[in-house]
Amino acid sequence: MNRAVILWRVASFAVAACFIALWQLIANLKLVSPVFLPGPDRAWAALVRGFSSGDLWSKLAGTLEHMAYGWLAASIAGIAIGAIIGSSRTMRTYVAPSLEFLRPLPVSAIIPVAIAMLGLTQAMALFVISFGAIWPIMLATIHGFAAVEPRLYEVARSLQMSRLAVIFKIALPSASPDILAGMRLSLTVALILSVVCEILAGLDGLGHWVLLSARAFRSADLFAGVILLGVTGYVTSVAMSLAENKLLAWQAAQR
Amino acid sequence: MASAAKRLEAVSGTAAPQIAFESVTLQLGGKTIIENLSLGVRAGEFLCIVGASGCGKTTALRLAAGLYQPTSGKVNFDSQPMREPRREIAIVFQDYGKALLPWRTAAGNVSLALEAGGMPSAERPARIEELLRTVGLPGHAGKYPSEMSGGMQQRLQIARCLAQEPKTLLMDEPFGALDAMTRQGLQDEVLSLVAASGATVIFVTHDLDEAIYLGDRVIGLLPHPGRIGIELAVNLPRPRDQLSTREHPEFLRLRRQLFDFIKATEQ
Ligand SMILES: Nc1ncnc2c1ncn2[C@@H]1O[C@H](COP(=O)(O)OP(=O)(O)OP(=O)(O)O)[C@@H](O)[C@H]1O
Ligand SMILES: [Mg+2]
Repeated sequence: MNRAVILWRVASFAVAACFIALWQLIANLKLVSPVFLPGPDRAWAALVRGFSSGDLWSKLAGTLEHMAYGWLAASIAGIAIGAIIGSSRTMRTYVAPSLEFLRPLPVSAIIPVAIAMLGLTQAMALFVISFGAIWPIMLATIHGFAAVEPRLYEVARSLQMSRLAVIFKIALPSASPDILAGMRLSLTVALILSVVCEILAGLDGLGHWVLLSARAFRSADLFAGVILLGVTGYVTSVAMSLAENKLLAWQAAQR
Repeated sequence: MASAAKRLEAVSGTAAPQIAFESVTLQLGGKTIIENLSLGVRAGEFLCIVGASGCGKTTALRLAAGLYQPTSGKVNFDSQPMREPRREIAIVFQDYGKALLPWRTAAGNVSLALEAGGMPSAERPARIEELLRTVGLPGHAGKYPSEMSGGMQQRLQIARCLAQEPKTLLMDEPFGALDAMTRQGLQDEVLSLVAASGATVIFVTHDLDEAIYLGDRVIGLLPHPGRIGIELAVNLPRPRDQLSTREHPEFLRLRRQLFDFIKATEQ
């Protein structure tokens, strides 16, 4: 790590510290009623209390579970469908327009449909989360498969590689930068939809915790939940970036 | 020694052709690219193809590779019709940057051909090292193509082709994008690799000197549609030498003949 990087780190921590100090100041001066805005001290205390009683752990686990299952289902389905569409020119020309129609459809529009069909269940949550998270992954995969260097397919032909080998050794690795970028976008979508589903269906998770805290005017608990959601989003996206850097080390060499 | 005997037999013309074009015509997009091309390449022969840009050299090579099927006529390999590409025929593409897998290291790129050939993974590392040494890339096994120079990338592509243990090596202007020094070095390396393996070679180039320097025979194509315009046997002693071969009276005579042919086609 060089000097500039360390300086940037220090600076960003300083900015974060300033925000917290400002928040504390506003809370102490009671510029906003404490019923709605707890200070960072109270939010922190609520966080510690929630974890030591074990309540927050189970809520966090619930949200992570919804997010992970939905995201994994979206990834597997998105890559598989994207690969099928992307590897055939005819499929691309016929299917792409319908995708362009479906893609901008807000996921919230299908939530009532999902609830009507599946009820307020885990299955509904899984369906909604993966439906929302599939788009970035599928579209990125289609694009990645369509952009494979044709020369490489000729190399594969002259090596008489099997179809499966061509997909796993040529097309997938070639499309992997696009696919991973799509998966990173989907991670955020999956988190948002997990919370929405938990709120709507009362499923165990941080969304539900936040909702109940708000209804009971326990603003410190509410903030503890929101902070935890922020941390979850941040940590998962950092983890994803690290995985990307590791998997795409060959790209770093290219630059 | 065996390969030298094979080469002698090939050049003296007693063997049946390994690759045979029989009245091959190819149309692409309604245009006749190659017309009525008949050509036999004997096992172990080094055939060079020259011709003006757009005359169909690459297309002829792709027919030999099985990447195109003739519209009429036949392309035979060992007396069997070529229906699709096969591992015994390796192609070295001119655009080495596009023909290598950027996400695999040098070793991984060579490994691709070994994997396709079904070599058990335990045997691969030793073979990869041997092949990289053969093409002059020892110690570069862990590098990605993007970390290598153009000459090194082309060597790597040649190593991958050698990993196919090809009976025939097809090369499409393999050194076209390289500087003169790298080019001459690689010419000599290809000659010694080919002499060692006894492979048949079809080598496409723009460079007439290169064609005569490398080949047992040089064919000049005429454009629109592509067909054979001139055929020269190159009776220059082997091993060839960058200085003495290029000063040989026979070299100069062939060079003159080929230049006159190309000049005539350009008018
Ligand atoms: N897929 C194709 N469809 C239609 N025409 C093509 C196709 N491929 C090549 N051609 C045409 O066929 C002719 C011969 O092309 P080819 O690439 O074989 O030439 P070449 O001799 O290799 O040229 P160069 O020396 O520039 O590489 C050219 O006129 C080209 O435009
Ligand atoms: Mg060409």
